[in-house]
Amino acid sequence: MKLSTIRLQNFRNIAEASLEFGRGRVFFVGANGQGKTNLLEAIGYVSALRAFRPGDNRALIRDGAGEAGIGYVLEHERTGRSEVIVRIRLRGKEATLDGEPVRRLADYLGRFPTVLFSSGDIQLIRGAPAGRRRFLDLHLAGCEPGYLEALQKYHRALEHRNRLLKEGGAGSALKAFEREMAPAAVRLIAARRQAMEKLGGLVEAFHGRISDGAETGTVAYRPDVEADSAEAFLALLAKNKMRDVQVGSTQRGPHRDDFAFRLGGKDAAIFASEGQQRALVLALRFGQLRDVRERSGVAPLVLADDVLGELDPVRRERFWAALEDDVQLFATGTTLPGNAGEGQWQVFRVEAGVFREA
Amino acid sequence: MTPAFDRLLDVLKRLPGLGYRSAERIALHLLVEKPESLESLVAALREAAGSVRPCTRCGNIAEGELCAICADPNRDRASICVVEHVPDLIAMERSGSYRGLYHVLQGKLAPIRGVGPDALNIAPLLERAGSDEVREVILALSNDVEGEATCHWLSDQLAGSNVRISRIGFGLPSGGGVVFADPVTLKSALEGRRDYL
Ligand SMILES: [Zn+2]
Repeated sequence: MKLSTIRLQNFRNIAEASLEFGRGRVFFVGANGQGKTNLLEAIGYVSALRAFRPGDNRALIRDGAGEAGIGYVLEHERTGRSEVIVRIRLRGKEATLDGEPVRRLADYLGRFPTVLFSSGDIQLIRGAPAGRRRFLDLHLAGCEPGYLEALQKYHRALEHRNRLLKEGGAGSALKAFEREMAPAAVRLIAARRQAMEKLGGLVEAFHGRISDGAETGTVAYRPDVEADSAEAFLALLAKNKMRDVQVGSTQRGPHRDDFAFRLGGKDAAIFASEGQQRALVLALRFGQLRDVRERSGVAPLVLADDVLGELDPVRRERFWAALEDDVQLFATGTTLPGNAGEGQWQVFRVEAGVFREA
Repeated sequence: MTPAFDRLLDVLKRLPGLGYRSAERIALHLLVEKPESLESLVAALREAAGSVRPCTRCGNIAEGELCAICADPNRDRASICVVEHVPDLIAMERSGSYRGLYHVLQGKLAPIRGVGPDALNIAPLLERAGSDEVREVILALSNDVEGEATCHWLSDQLAGSNVRISRIGFGLPSGGGVVFADPVTLKSALEGRRDYL
């Protein structure tokens, strides 16, 4: 897929912008705080109708404006030319796809995939499990049919169960909600296992191309519980019920799942250097990109937020070698990339929320 | 505008389906544009409030002991269709494809909103399902997490009675309730009902 035009109105610090993209590689260059990442975020918004940095809608709307608007014109492998228009208000947002309102996120997610490479990705290794679950959930919600519904169902039923546990867990309603949780939990665990096995292989392959070490880098699923049937999960809940009642919440289940980065068979969070960790998360993003493309037949837009600058020349060369030529890339940086003079980049200079094509 | 007008608006806009603007229109209509309609509205409200109450058997609205459906000798007494609220019953009736009796649960289980089994109209249902003439209980609850959990719970509660338990929902949009479905969808949802385990 290709993004041919984006129009912005009152999005973060960008009052108004209308950019047309021709070549496959687009670079936004400027000092920090000028709006490069904001534009990248506006592009990424098309995937899941959410921003990649945390915060409420207020942060997305330019100071003094009532709402923010983003319009996209995309060339899509399966649906041809598509137009998406998003309006973000203080309370809620609206989106239309080719003039039709988007009513259910589940029907929309995954149509316009993007993959973000960010300097913050290293937190996927160093940070808490919640960040890794979020990565996995967003990835699967976009490319695994039924995943988002199972995820929402599981968490909703879990919330009810936790409330009942806080009230002592004695009533007849507890079992009813557990029976809603169980098939959803089994579905989540199976989908995550399958996806992590595939990603593990892809990460290993890409890591071999990006890093120069002889050690194997990969990722491995760490399910909190094993359950291959609803009955098995129900038995687990029954077994843990006493403790759950004592604590007042469900202690075990896919809401506690995790995955690990491994380098040479060891836990990369503890044993890998910063450079090794960066190579691993880079490999994970390439793996995600390939997985989305293979599952959906759509080439995601690649967003690279400030990552090219922190790679040494050798790694940068390998980054380019790993990126397929037909993928459209949007990158940001404070200085132009080394190969900018070769005419393959479309460059925009960014200053105080204003974009000028160089 | 005036203290009494503001108090009226305040009451009106708390009614379901009414926002501030429609509450304002109704208030002005009743007080200024068509004050003659006010008397009949107050009279109708007073009369309805005095006579309309839940059917003692099924929970539908009634004026006597029994609602019009429970009292109708031509309805099929072998099946009971369980719905969450009276508007769901009205939607089922509008579809014209059901000739049995109903039971209005007055809600669905939702612990995080404080709705437990005690808040539901369940005891009369168990009593009815235990009688010899009832052979099938059809669960027509919404297919969101709360509706599905309530179905699990109901089937546990009904386990002792000798009835077939079935579930509609085939073709209903996920997360939706009966009240949002059009008659054609409801008809096929009813015809496509499945035994509930
Ligand atoms: Zn009745």
